[in-house]
Amino acid sequence: MEKIILDNNIPLVLKENKNTPRHALCFYFKITEPEKKAGVYTLLNRLFLQGTKKRDAHTLAQELDENAIDCYSEMKQDFIRFKLQCLNEDFEKGLEILSDVIENSTMEDFEKEVIKLKGEIQAELDEPKTMAMNAFYSNIFKNHPYGHTYTNILRDIDTITKNDVMNAYHVLLEKSPKVISLVGDFNGENVQELLKKYFANIKNNQDCKINNEVANLEKAEIVKVTKDDASQAQIIQGWRVPTIFDKDYAPIMVMNTLLGSSGLSSRLFLELRDKKGLAYVVRSSYEIYDHSALFTVYIATEPKNIKTSLEGFKIELDKVKQIPVSETELENAKNNLLGKRQFFSETNLQQASLMAYYEDKGLGADFEQEFNKMVKAVSVEDIKRVANTYITDKYVLTVLAPQQYLKEI
Amino acid sequence: MEKTIKREINYPYLTKPVEIYERENGHKIVLAHKEGGLVNVSSWVKTGSINENDENNGISHFLEHLMFKGTHKHKAGYFDKTLEAKGAIVNAATWKDYTFYYVTLPKGNDCEYLKQAIELHADMMLDPVIPEDEIGPAFTLGDDTVSQKRERHVVIEEIRMRQDQPWTKIYNSTNFNMYTKHPYKRDVIGFPQTIASIPRETILDYYKTHYTPNNITTVIAGDFDHNEILELVCKEFDFKDRANFENLKHELDTPVDEPKYIELKGKINTGFAITGWLGPVAKDMKENIALEIVNVILGEGQSSRLYQNLIEKAADPVFNIVTTDFYNFKDGGNFFVQANYKADKKEQALELIKTELTNFLNGDMTEREFNKAKKKLKARFAESAETVSDIAENIGYYMTVCDDLDLVEQYSQELENITMDDVNKIANRYLALNHSVTTVLLPE
Repeated sequence: MEKIILDNNIPLVLKENKNTPRHALCFYFKITEPEKKAGVYTLLNRLFLQGTKKRDAHTLAQELDENAIDCYSEMKQDFIRFKLQCLNEDFEKGLEILSDVIENSTMEDFEKEVIKLKGEIQAELDEPKTMAMNAFYSNIFKNHPYGHTYTNILRDIDTITKNDVMNAYHVLLEKSPKVISLVGDFNGENVQELLKKYFANIKNNQDCKINNEVANLEKAEIVKVTKDDASQAQIIQGWRVPTIFDKDYAPIMVMNTLLGSSGLSSRLFLELRDKKGLAYVVRSSYEIYDHSALFTVYIATEPKNIKTSLEGFKIELDKVKQIPVSETELENAKNNLLGKRQFFSETNLQQASLMAYYEDKGLGADFEQEFNKMVKAVSVEDIKRVANTYITDKYVLTVLAPQQYLKEI
Repeated sequence: MEKTIKREINYPYLTKPVEIYERENGHKIVLAHKEGGLVNVSSWVKTGSINENDENNGISHFLEHLMFKGTHKHKAGYFDKTLEAKGAIVNAATWKDYTFYYVTLPKGNDCEYLKQAIELHADMMLDPVIPEDEIGPAFTLGDDTVSQKRERHVVIEEIRMRQDQPWTKIYNSTNFNMYTKHPYKRDVIGFPQTIASIPRETILDYYKTHYTPNNITTVIAGDFDHNEILELVCKEFDFKDRANFENLKHELDTPVDEPKYIELKGKINTGFAITGWLGPVAKDMKENIALEIVNVILGEGQSSRLYQNLIEKAADPVFNIVTTDFYNFKDGGNFFVQANYKADKKEQALELIKTELTNFLNGDMTEREFNKAKKKLKARFAESAETVSDIAENIGYYMTVCDDLDLVEQYSQELENITMDDVNKIANRYLALNHSVTTVLLPE
């Protein structure tokens, strides 16, 4: 792995993987000015492939597909990233299109995109799980852009103007800190020349300070969502926890692994699925953002099992808080966590994505090595400590079910 | 070393040929080389809903769950715990033509983890106990007094999950109505009442009948010593004197001869529709490639016709989503058009889809569209050669559904040779509107 600073000050992290047929490039743009109306960045993100000064939306889609080039943008809570993946021989073509998209998007299809987005959101909200997740995130991040979920977008979308999106675009191009990563079978020098050629006009703004603090949760909140024809209840319980920059990042990652993020041998899977037969899907997760993070537990179960499932969660969470995990279970969880990282970074695109992700966070593209050490250092006491510190009575619990089953919660 | 018949296949984008070994008992072993630290071990069994009937529908999938419940050597949980503690992804899947079990993990020093994965995987495949207490007692649906809720309930929850998915609901209805008698008409997961009551003996009998050497292909993908691993797989997969079983051959179904329409209602806000057609048998490379080309042109991605004509260029919005899909199955694949639309515009939505299809069947495909589709299909091989899991999955599919990996080589050749005229003829052979089945789901 190599890091170069391009002439325009954008860090470029490179990794050569010989004998791989496709190049993969990621280009990160950090969101520096959080949106005030829910949906501004979602619209911007969608409009990126809807036409440039050189190509209309159809020509763009056609040119990408004719060359079997995957080129798209993704919006996450803290950044918009472009991903480019194509056969090695088509890489320059892909770069040319990507630079055109980044620099010359016209946003002309704004009105049409608003209509399309509304329609797609309505279709998504016909899935009970999406409805439940929507309610959960908008409540655990109430009054914060992290909580700009589907229903908030539907609330605000008609007040968003094309100008709002154009402003967000300019802020992203001019003010945002940026990172590029590239993985593939390439010649280092040629590739640098190509990147200089196509991205020379894009400026970096590395020192930008972002103010996007998240207020603490002050109490427990229960959010009920009625869906009378649901065969299953959807239950999500979540806590705010420290994020990747904190000393407790690795202990929480390990706790999440042994509780339920990963596989068939985790505690929630064994206790709530295998032994109690409550669910097909039961898991925990640890989601990282720049200014906050969430630890959540999730189960989908027959509505009459809601109480038993919540008790099951409590029993398992209390166990982690009260009973030290055995050294063997701790070692297994660490090895599980670290071993699986290979699976999630097997392709060139996965590797490029991870490198840019770490670089964007200021941790260094090779943070994975550091992470390995941090995980290995996690102790039995650390697990008990983070469980007690963060799994508290300040949480958001969301339950979707038919009305009659919501009364008892 | 045991006698095996060896063949080699040139698999696109892999640096060495894939090796296929057939043992005297009929068990097939495929070794694929892929550089890197990850390996994949999988076994593909030629059974799924294709071997089921109304009485046992769902048994293949239920058995797949129960295969993880321990062997005579290792108790339930040992397999998952041991391998996941090495960073393994462990899982299985059941579909119409096959059931497969896989482990993807770091190979370890001197392939230590790979070898252990092969031992445990073979043990699970050949010696499952399927204990009564893990299945849980049979019960009547709705009986709240059941205290021992075990795997029967887990699978019933999986069924419930699918009942809440609008797309799954209309897929199942269309699929059921596309067939008259072929077992493909049944949903792979089955019905709650069957899962609640099916006896252990029936499941064991099913296992003994179908998990035979000639019905299993074991695939190992990654970077390892082929001789050493072949020897280990032969040793661990000791079928002893297990008898072989030839799957029943089913008569191919004929499509409906006039359009069939089913309307369902639900507590939703938008309209959903799936139109489906019966397609060619999986072994017919040319016909499958032709319909894959149609799929790319009509409904894959933002440059596709349906997206461009029905969403991008729509003056008055009707559709939220409109795509196509093509599935390959041994006894005939399925082509689908899937749409989500404004709830009050059902008639218009169905009419617009019909017009697009008619235009295509009348031969208005352009050379540009045709070349785009061919390029995309070629690139798919590069994509599927990037991970050990995808390589193994592709090989497993060909070995199990097409009975032969040679077809991978044939695929590239056929893709090169196919013409626009071929595609038009084949599209007209299968996708006539009279042969279509449509299910819509609308708000109550």
